[in-house]
Amino acid sequence: MEEVRIGVYICDCGTNISATVNTKEVTEYAKGLGSVVVARNYKYMCSDPGQNLIKNDIKENKLNRVVVAACSPRMHEPTFRRAVQDAGINQYYFQMANIREQCSWVHTDKEMATEKAKALVEAAVSRVQYHEPLQSKQVSVNPNVLVVGGGIAGIQTALEIADAGKKVYLVEKEPSIGGHMAMFDKTFPTLDCSACILTPKMTSVGQHPNIDLLSYSEVEEVTGFVGNFKAKIKRKARYVDETKCTGCDECSKVCPVKVENEFDVGLSLRSATYIQSPYAVPNKAVINKKGISPCRVACPAGVNAHGYVALIAKGQFKEALDLVRDSIPLAGVVGRVCNHPCETECERTTVDDGINIRDLKRFVADYEIKMGREKATPLEITKAEKVAVIGSGPSGLACAFDLLKKGYAVTVFEKDEKAGGLMRYGIPNFKLPENIVDTEIDYLKERGVEIKTGTAVNDIASLFKQGYKAVFLGTGAGVNRKLGVPGEDNANVFGAMDFLKKVNSGQDVVVSDKVVVVGGGNTAVESARVAWRLGAKDVTVLYKKSESETPATCSEVEEAKNEGIKFKFLTSVKEIIIDGDKISGVKCVNESKAQKGEEFVLEAGNVINAMWQDVNKDSLPKEMAFSELGYLEVDPVTLESNVSGVFAGGEVVAGQLDVIASMASGKAAAESIDRYLSGQDIREGRAEQMPKKFEVNKDKVKAKSRMVMPTLGVSERKGNFDEVELGYDNELAIDEAGRCLNCSVCSECMLCLKACEPDAIDHSMREQTIEVDIGSIVVATGLKQFDPEVMYTYGYRRFDDVLTGLEFERLSNASGPTDGVVVKKNGKKPKSVAILHCVGSRDENYHKYCSRVCCMYSLKYAHLLKEKLPDVEVYQLYIDMRCPGLGYEEFYMRLQDEGVKFVRGRAAEITNIPQIDEEKDKLVVMVEDTLVRKKRRLPVDMVILSCAIEPNDGAEQIGKVLSLNKKADGFFLEKHPKLDPISTMTDGVFIAGCCQGPKDIPDTVAQASAAAARALAMISNNKVEIDGAVSEIIADLCSGCRICNTMCPYSAISYNESARVSEINPVLCKGCGVCVSACPSDAITSNHFTTKQILAEIEGVLA
Amino acid sequence: MKSYTYFPGCSSEATAVGLDISTRAIAEALGIELKELEDWNCCGSTPYGSLDELEAIAVAARNLALAEKTKLDLVTPCSSCFVTLNKARVHMMKPEVKSKVNQALATAGLEYNGSVKVRLLIEVLMSDMTTQKIAAKVVKPLSGLKVAPYSGCQEVRPRFGFDDPENPIALDEIVEAVGAIAVPYASKCKCCGGSAVISEQDLCLQLMYDLFKNAVESGAECMITPCPLCQMNLDAYQAKVNSKFNTNFNLPVLFVTQLIGLALGLKEDKLGLNKNIVKPNKILAKYL
Repeated sequence: MEEVRIGVYICDCGTNISATVNTKEVTEYAKGLGSVVVARNYKYMCSDPGQNLIKNDIKENKLNRVVVAACSPRMHEPTFRRAVQDAGINQYYFQMANIREQCSWVHTDKEMATEKAKALVEAAVSRVQYHEPLQSKQVSVNPNVLVVGGGIAGIQTALEIADAGKKVYLVEKEPSIGGHMAMFDKTFPTLDCSACILTPKMTSVGQHPNIDLLSYSEVEEVTGFVGNFKAKIKRKARYVDETKCTGCDECSKVCPVKVENEFDVGLSLRSATYIQSPYAVPNKAVINKKGISPCRVACPAGVNAHGYVALIAKGQFKEALDLVRDSIPLAGVVGRVCNHPCETECERTTVDDGINIRDLKRFVADYEIKMGREKATPLEITKAEKVAVIGSGPSGLACAFDLLKKGYAVTVFEKDEKAGGLMRYGIPNFKLPENIVDTEIDYLKERGVEIKTGTAVNDIASLFKQGYKAVFLGTGAGVNRKLGVPGEDNANVFGAMDFLKKVNSGQDVVVSDKVVVVGGGNTAVESARVAWRLGAKDVTVLYKKSESETPATCSEVEEAKNEGIKFKFLTSVKEIIIDGDKISGVKCVNESKAQKGEEFVLEAGNVINAMWQDVNKDSLPKEMAFSELGYLEVDPVTLESNVSGVFAGGEVVAGQLDVIASMASGKAAAESIDRYLSGQDIREGRAEQMPKKFEVNKDKVKAKSRMVMPTLGVSERKGNFDEVELGYDNELAIDEAGRCLNCSVCSECMLCLKACEPDAIDHSMREQTIEVDIGSIVVATGLKQFDPEVMYTYGYRRFDDVLTGLEFERLSNASGPTDGVVVKKNGKKPKSVAILHCVGSRDENYHKYCSRVCCMYSLKYAHLLKEKLPDVEVYQLYIDMRCPGLGYEEFYMRLQDEGVKFVRGRAAEITNIPQIDEEKDKLVVMVEDTLVRKKRRLPVDMVILSCAIEPNDGAEQIGKVLSLNKKADGFFLEKHPKLDPISTMTDGVFIAGCCQGPKDIPDTVAQASAAAARALAMISNNKVEIDGAVSEIIADLCSGCRICNTMCPYSAISYNESARVSEINPVLCKGCGVCVSACPSDAITSNHFTTKQILAEIEGVLA
Repeated sequence: MKSYTYFPGCSSEATAVGLDISTRAIAEALGIELKELEDWNCCGSTPYGSLDELEAIAVAARNLALAEKTKLDLVTPCSSCFVTLNKARVHMMKPEVKSKVNQALATAGLEYNGSVKVRLLIEVLMSDMTTQKIAAKVVKPLSGLKVAPYSGCQEVRPRFGFDDPENPIALDEIVEAVGAIAVPYASKCKCCGGSAVISEQDLCLQLMYDLFKNAVESGAECMITPCPLCQMNLDAYQAKVNSKFNTNFNLPVLFVTQLIGLALGLKEDKLGLNKNIVKPNKILAKYL
């Protein structure tokens, strides 16, 4: 083994070290240490002469190890390693002892500090003897660059790199690039229009052959290492084909949904389908769609509730009705009798009342009638096969309509005299007038459904002989199940279905004064209300369960009670008491816990049994199969019966079903029949998939109750069957529809699709993930404005006319919500404005730092105000005026000349309580004017808050993806605040712009260009050096436990399946040593921190 | 039934008799036991503290020592007593203070070991009782009564307070729990003048004028407050405000406990309403 010859160099570091540590003494001490050939002391070891000392000594004294006792290795280890390498010995034969940060800077006792320094030097000398000649690695560099963020920083970086001939992927999460700079009005101090100087750059980016602009996208995952990264980028679904869209903006004009426009900071509304700004790049529309609104998910028949409500809110009643009919017929019926599962799921119920979705549907159906309904156009028959539907109730008609829309000729066979089933014969006219049913049936006939009334069909086989290729059975369950009590066969006991049918058919039905109805569903309640109208004076509804368990709709029960109908819950029937050929009463049994079993008698002349509905098996063919409960048996998914080609749905299959559920069942059968007839698999893809849930922001929603439905007064209802609920008028309907929260934003009403001429809209688009290979990444995620609502005393969002800076930018901007006219919320021009500096900045409670640009942009606002409103009084409330550099101080002087009033003081409170007449209807800013030492009250019309700059929300996500360190306030941490504000601790990842710290546009552009230069330097070198101080796994000792795999913070360790051992990728490894300590088999060594080296170091300290 | 040791405070026997009567009455109605601290003495409040700090702590600590024996929380309706007793409690955590004061207390056979919790009545009603339980016991909802809640300054102090200093809502919630309307008004956090009304009457009259004006303009028919000093200022000096500013404010200022008592169906004699200077009988007529 060759002799170890060590050179030791003690640095004074000016007086940083020498003031506390006696460096001469330490140097003498070093000379006496083993294997030390030469020891020197110099004032600045890192300087040229200092480094030359080392290099000369290496040559002349044939040194093969070097120790430098100076500052932290973080500072100058690379410097000395390079020097040593230059002189011809391996750079890892070098060790640095930190006698500055860890000695002279932290101790005051000179004697003890000197002793400590000696110990540290001895430790380094002892250690360095065991160093190995490690080799650093070199990797190649992929010339592509990923830029995250499309604001001015990202744009500048991208253009610089692209102009140099290299490829850039520019990822921006918004639909357009431009960032915050695109929102500004003018820029200080030149007062250039922000958009004018930005848009040429934006256009260049859009057109540059070397820039791949990935807008509306986010970086999800990055793997790899410097020079060789792989990035997974999520491209959010735009629902617009960018290759076809021409940016004509017709789609946003027809879109009924209006939400807050983020580009105008909430000062205006935009449509769900929109183009972000007049200078968007790419100039393509985007559809803001969160998912599917809960009301749509809840509807069993898939009616687009959100869509038609949105259209009604915009006054587009015909389009709303068309949208309903895209899913179901019978809008006027459903709009009156549906049990509305959509309203239960409506998100608005968590604020105040759910939207009255059902009655809005009724409104548009009635509106069509009111305006004079034109005959509907017949649908084209495109299929050869014809289908038979038996039963013209909701399930049959829904099935028929869907089949007709698919191109089949459909014939509906109805045994009754008129079509409609229970809609006509089961629901009383005061709830569902007959003419409504007539109108809806007419509509279906006009569209092409053939309905044969008075035609019963008992023989299905005959239908097939007649040429029908498939049959749908929607015959319902129209038989009243018996009560099962003695006395019920008396003629004065009516089955509810028979009773209602007779009344609805116009037959004369007589009821006695006292009527008892048994049952708890809508049929029972409606029977009671019919009986009251027929003249009964005392009507009671009995139900065996409690009121909260009653299946009848709450509003039905409420109206019945209004009409004087009594309810006895938790009461069952034991016997019907006969008196001759009449009945005298009902023997009841109390079912409540407290009085269970107690019997009592209710007087009654009639009993109406509304207990349950059964299927009339005799009316159906014998070959049909029935379930145990007595209903028709069908496959639950396909609705196919046991007879081939025969499908069934609705109440004949399910017993009691709500109208909308019956219709859903008919629609499902139509789908099955279509597949059956076209030879497709009936079952595939039928199982339901639950859509994703998402958050709905309700922060800004003001409580506003549901519009009350006008109803007929109780006295006006007596003795007649006039409709009780009168329906909304236009105003009430639009008002009610306007309460919709637009949960999913886009409602898929499809109006945009119809309006788009180039056919660019595709609502079936899904988000995609693409993978790109890059060598370096520049993060430029930008800023966000501090929200001053937390500063209660400033009254933001409590008072009108207290604005943030960004809001004022939009107000002043010619393309903003007021076309650049500065007005108060009430439309009047302000005569006085106060601009408050340092809102959220320089504040112990929020951000301690200064946001750097606010003084300048506050001056800019003052200038814009003076320009637009010549007589306006402007107050600037400042702590210090920070206008550094060229042009800024001059701008400040200019504003003083323009007559702006500067008050040195931080505003304490903004109040609207006047103390004197001049303060009436004004916002009073209370401030201590520190220069005149007086407390002042400044009455103004408008207040602008110059808010702090914070890192953008997107920074959190990208920070996690790239494992970037952050500073205390959330901005990304640079490698060195003075000498390297562009690099991060992660090699190959650079930062630029406000994501690193608040700064103005010129500094941002400069930093962006610097980041580009750094990336280009890497590319131009085409290689990157990777530190050789890494860890290694000794395969023979590795047991394959894989504990180290999960511990590695750099994901550098992987498991080799075939060799059954773990392996470290030396390029990713940073030599941190976590795996070394974790390994239970002691199989990992850190090659620059071996046990021998560490023990030697310890011995040196203790010597 | 939750029990507390009750510290009435001196004003309960003088200017805030109404507060004491109504507090005891509603405690009974709400099912809370308030056991009056036996042999309690004046807490010292601000006057004693300005004379001798250590003696002031001792005077207050005597009450703490007595209360400690009961092993229950010490509840007081008076904001000033609350702060004084709490400050004494905190001072007594310092070993040098504790030893000296306990020396003095020892002469009366007492000792304070630091285990008493001092609480404000309103805070007890909000957290231990909860407004939901109070609402459930309401017999006569005060529907239609427009009340301006005035919380005073002690409830919102940073150290011992429990409500938001910029926008306190505890009293609003109580008002709503009893069925009345809590009128939002901008001056709700403005000072009534406190004890400065004695030395700087004109200044304080101005403050009270601003308060009344804003409350009335916002639609209030009456005000409620938990603090005896606020109540006294706003009630007793209302006439002076009227004569100085040529106004005719007739705004009854009730203790919050009186309002709660009304809603719980208690009668006038249980609420001490006859002790209010600005008579509330007219506006409360329909609820009595």
